Amino acid sequence: MSVSEPIVEFSKVVFSYDRTEVLHEISFQLNRGEVIGLLGPNGAGKTTTLKIIAGLLAPGGGAVSVTGLPLPERAIDVKGRIGYVPETALLFESLNGQEFLELSGRLHDVEEDTLQARIHNLLETFALTSNRLRRLEGYSKGMRQKILIAAALLHNPELILLDEPLSGLDVNSAIMIKDLIAALAAEGKTIVYSSHVLDVVEKVCQRVLVIHQGNLIADASAENLKAATNQSTLEDAFRKLTDSADVDPAVARIINALRS
Amino acid sequence: MLLTRHSSLVTVLLRGPRVSRLLKACGVNPRHYWLLVDLFGQLSDRHEFMTQLGRSGYALKTIAWWYFVMSGIFALVCLFIQPPLTRYLSLLLAMTALFLLSLLVSETNNSLVNPVEGLVLAHQPIDGATYTAAKLTHLGRILLYVVPALNGVPALAGLALRRAPWFYPFLHMLAAFAVGLVIALFCCAWFGWLIRFVPASRLKAVGNWTELIVWMVFLWLPQAPRFLVRVHFSAWLPGPGVPRMALGEAMTALVAGSVVFGLRSLSVDYMLRVSSIVHGGSSAKGQGRRWRRSSAISGWFGGQLGRAGFEFVSQMMTRDWQFLRQVVPLAPLLIIGGVMMAPGLRVAPFSGRFTSLHVLPHACGFMLLSICNVLPYGNDYKGAWVFLLVPAGAWERFAHGVFAALWVRFIIVPHLFLLALLTWFWGIQYAALFLAYSLAVSSFYLGLELRLIEAVPFSKQPEASQGVMMLPFLIMGGLGAALAVALQHFFLFHSLASALTATAIVAAGAYFLTRSSLRSLSSSMRFNLGLVSGGSSFLYKEVNG
Repeated sequence: MSVSEPIVEFSKVVFSYDRTEVLHEISFQLNRGEVIGLLGPNGAGKTTTLKIIAGLLAPGGGAVSVTGLPLPERAIDVKGRIGYVPETALLFESLNGQEFLELSGRLHDVEEDTLQARIHNLLETFALTSNRLRRLEGYSKGMRQKILIAAALLHNPELILLDEPLSGLDVNSAIMIKDLIAALAAEGKTIVYSSHVLDVVEKVCQRVLVIHQGNLIADASAENLKAATNQSTLEDAFRKLTDSADVDPAVARIINALRS
Repeated sequence: MLLTRHSSLVTVLLRGPRVSRLLKACGVNPRHYWLLVDLFGQLSDRHEFMTQLGRSGYALKTIAWWYFVMSGIFALVCLFIQPPLTRYLSLLLAMTALFLLSLLVSETNNSLVNPVEGLVLAHQPIDGATYTAAKLTHLGRILLYVVPALNGVPALAGLALRRAPWFYPFLHMLAAFAVGLVIALFCCAWFGWLIRFVPASRLKAVGNWTELIVWMVFLWLPQAPRFLVRVHFSAWLPGPGVPRMALGEAMTALVAGSVVFGLRSLSVDYMLRVSSIVHGGSSAKGQGRRWRRSSAISGWFGGQLGRAGFEFVSQMMTRDWQFLRQVVPLAPLLIIGGVMMAPGLRVAPFSGRFTSLHVLPHACGFMLLSICNVLPYGNDYKGAWVFLLVPAGAWERFAHGVFAALWVRFIIVPHLFLLALLTWFWGIQYAALFLAYSLAVSSFYLGLELRLIEAVPFSKQPEASQGVMMLPFLIMGGLGAALAVALQHFFLFHSLASALTATAIVAAGAYFLTRSSLRSLSSSMRFNLGLVSGGSSFLYKEVNG
């Protein structure tokens, strides 16, 4: 299979929460082996897009296919081929780290020997071996995030969806995750990386999709985006693309309110 | 040892190839099914998953015990009356069906319409059929406890009835389990229909309405025979020329088809809707109403902190799904109570004659007993960490606000409404005195029942056993209220002077009791928050452990 083969295809996808349309006929294609950054202001539709790719939400219109499988009809098969790290760390807190990973791996039908070996390696890599028998309720935010990332990788998925994966991680762990992303991409994995930390996106991602108010307003490499907007950093390019207002007046308003 | 070996054998059989083939035939992935069943059992054992009756051995055993006693008394009475065998069996099967319906509708509602753990599992490759099958397995456990409890003794007692065959107990239990299975399948199918056709965000509200309707039917049933006679129901039945058997078969086929369709609906796209279902509102309107007078509350009940308590409890009472689900059974009781008290309007309260309105203050107390019992529990209990940031000295005033939310909403407002109504029937003097007395007694009850609120409202995880634990309190409360009604009728309501004196004494008692209970409530809230802060499931620690 060639690198440029599409792994995710969105064609005029529409999605609404109740009667509010949050995605307006979005179309894009993600190719195998790419690392794609998904950017946008809060409420733009990034997490919704990721959830549709993950088979968690069914689109209200348009067509979606992941690894050649149509969604939502083949959602279960798709879930077996993807790894998903959600933005909000929802876990069963009475399970310990080992148990949670075993559950995740078994639900993906990973063979027991392989599963135990992978859990051992992942826990060691994330420096969680000594805490593996501790209940998740006792884990720090960073530790929970590592468990989520480990759970997403256990079954060796083709497509990995990361929604703010560095949230709560210390500097060393964040560097390790960035290196891990690069290594996974070199292995032929496709990674969709949603984050507000734009300098990381700039370093890690080959391509950037920018969603704003439910519309896809940019789809290019970080360099091309900077060139097109005549900006020196991705952050400035993002601000220009999303018409972000100057934050100084907003900050001044808050300070004035506290003084009153 | 024998029991352990026996249960191990049952486990091996259940997880064996035959049962796996049966599960696959029903569209359920056996491997994932048992993983999920084990997971839910593990979460229940570790107290992360405590809202389901079928997973709480203690609650099930308590309910089974009460049903066992009730059915035993019923069987004993029947031994004296010696009813025909078929009528005896029919009555018991009808009782089983009614009790199971009220339990299983509630449990199915809670399992399917509030799948909080589904958010963790939604991105796993689990199909809807497997997930819902695993979630509903605990209903089988309810059947295994409740059906024998309701029918065990009566089945054996049936042998003492005239013309009872030797195999009657076996037949009775078989019929009872069949009824239980049909009820369970019907409940699952009904929610399958709802999940299929009701928008996911509205499902919680509709689930609550379903429970309410079941309770209304339950309480209306004794009136059913009279109603059927009034509407000349027998005239609607097909005449002798129409093949009733064929009609019966057609109806059975229709019901069976509906059940099958409903069950299949559970598997279709349930996992896709989990997120929308969980985040759906408990009531139709997303935005709550604000009490315009809450600024007045702050003046009377503890300032801004009192207002915070008042607004918090008022808002959460109309939005928290678990709270609404547990007070749903009160609504039909209130309606029926109101209907039964209405004839009492024609009798003056202090005329020496008994009027059904004499029960009013005690009915308020009974209602508040149920509400105060469930107030500490809520769906969003994990949000309780917010209260850890409240300064220690603030709790007394917050407790005043909690009290105000209950007192104003459930005592003051209904009494003001009744003042207008009773003035029309009795005149202002009698109406005002009676309602002052009722206000004092209801406030006394509330003062007492504040002690049932053992934590910050809506800050504890709901437990299946909490309702069961209340049963003895409710029975004792009912007996106490009956005694109080009798005492007030014989000693207080024969003269205005005695009623006035009693009102003053009870009001003073209510005031001092409430003050003491509020101190106790603020201590309970602080203590419970201490437990919350000790358990880190409510706080994200920013430093690696």
